Amino acid sequence: MFGSRTALFFGRTLLASVAFAVVVGAPATVVNAQDATTASRPGLPRGTDGKPDLTGIWEALSTAEWGVEPHAARKDAPAGLGIVEGDVIPYQPWALARRDQNFAKRAKLDPLAKCFMPGVPRITYTPLPFQIFQSEKELTFLYQYAHSVRTVHANGAPHPPGHIDWWLGDSRGHWEGDTLVVDVTHFNDQTWFDRAGNFHSDALHVIERYTLIGPDHIEYRATIEDPKVFTRPWNINLVLYRHKEKNFQLLEHECYTFDYERFYP
Amino acid sequence: MSTASRICQGVVCVLALSTAAAADWQPAHLPDGQPDVRGFYKPEVEGTYSLIRPARAPGIEQLEKIDQTLKAGKKLPPPENSRVVDPADGQIPYQAWARARQQETEANIEKWVKPEHIDPQARCVPGGVTRTLFWSQLEIRQYPGYVVFVFDMNHPYRVIPLDGRPHIPEKIKLWMSDSRGHWEGNTLVVDVTNSNSKHRLSNEGDFASDKVHITERYTFIDANNFKLEQRYEDPAVYTQPWTLASSFSRAHKDEPDYEWWEMECHEGEHDVEHLYQGDKSKPY
Repeated sequence: MFGSRTALFFGRTLLASVAFAVVVGAPATVVNAQDATTASRPGLPRGTDGKPDLTGIWEALSTAEWGVEPHAARKDAPAGLGIVEGDVIPYQPWALARRDQNFAKRAKLDPLAKCFMPGVPRITYTPLPFQIFQSEKELTFLYQYAHSVRTVHANGAPHPPGHIDWWLGDSRGHWEGDTLVVDVTHFNDQTWFDRAGNFHSDALHVIERYTLIGPDHIEYRATIEDPKVFTRPWNINLVLYRHKEKNFQLLEHECYTFDYERFYP
Repeated sequence: MSTASRICQGVVCVLALSTAAAADWQPAHLPDGQPDVRGFYKPEVEGTYSLIRPARAPGIEQLEKIDQTLKAGKKLPPPENSRVVDPADGQIPYQAWARARQQETEANIEKWVKPEHIDPQARCVPGGVTRTLFWSQLEIRQYPGYVVFVFDMNHPYRVIPLDGRPHIPEKIKLWMSDSRGHWEGNTLVVDVTNSNSKHRLSNEGDFASDKVHITERYTFIDANNFKLEQRYEDPAVYTQPWTLASSFSRAHKDEPDYEWWEMECHEGEHDVEHLYQGDKSKPY
């Protein structure tokens, strides 16, 4: 199943992903999304400031990239239970119609077909690893996808005045107990949530919550607000897995260069 | 001083002085023992147009002047302030075939009639370890066991582990190469391999092969300045190793709250389709 998942994304199979899914995904008792609270947990890696240390290389094992809502397998997607709490995105009627049009033309209209930056939260579950470096004042998120970078400022500085159209928005973090809460705003209206045409406007506001629920698992929840498109805020919920392979590191996925790099031998 | 004299023998004596000064500077250290050099830096001469004439800009007037000089059968004046410090003539020691290729690219820098003429920089491709440094500004972030470079233009980054791990398999080639670092006093030494070398080192078509081995030395001489040295070894392209040197200084020194803002490139790139003068009915 995951073999087909990776084949659909990369056009090839990656057996290592299968092994990784089996080994890391097995201890279901560790990965219990309902357990995440802001209470202090023992046994977590922590920085000198006592905060949980999110440093590491992480990746989602999810088919949310192909659809954040529950969906059966189709020719261009593996099946998935979805990551939307309550299963259904609360679209306004016009927006639901637009989403369905997007779906029909997804092969052409998906911004990732042009290798544009995926936006937030999609970049979190696009099936490629990303690396977090953590200090007291900021966290650096480096994504393998097209060298995308997010700096989560955690020094108390507010969002810059706006509105500013950014692909990855502006990220400000603070800690609530053991949970890193990241407020993300200043988005453009060009990114989607998945390959199924789910979309937003430039009024998008994302509140991400990163909670270590064990040394090697982060529960990732995000609240999505966009009064221009949805009838109410809604949540997504998934688990990020730590890459444990020896000497694992980020490589590159410079997808926009694939068509012309042959001209530069 | 022994470090200074060693460098003097190996590469250039100009840098030896700064290395001696660097030994005198006592930086604060981070908990993992690294000298604390975090912050924004900018190159002494910003721009990637030329390695051997860094101050040269691709202005129309200059290009016309060059055109006229060449048409008149005259030679171009010798380079000024070349970033190439070894060999002493300030030129990259290309093998004959490689010099011909570089000159072919340089001759077409303003007129792209074949896809290979198009400067990869115009396509927003990550610029590799040399061109990215000179394009714009650099932020050095340090975390336990790592140095991380974040760049402004087109947001490429470099992750430099300091734990002595081996390089990735040779078969994998990367736009930004594979970096392994260690500190020698106040000098960050980075071993660079796995370059796909599809990018150019300058607008003038300077290049390496994907077998290139680059040794970088970032010598922090005081709280605000570092000297960069990159030694290129690539027997497939050059007749001998060569070394590039430059200086960098703190940027935004008086703006403690300065932050990068998102600098997307590919997402809004339309220059190539407008500037390309080749056959647009074929891929380019």
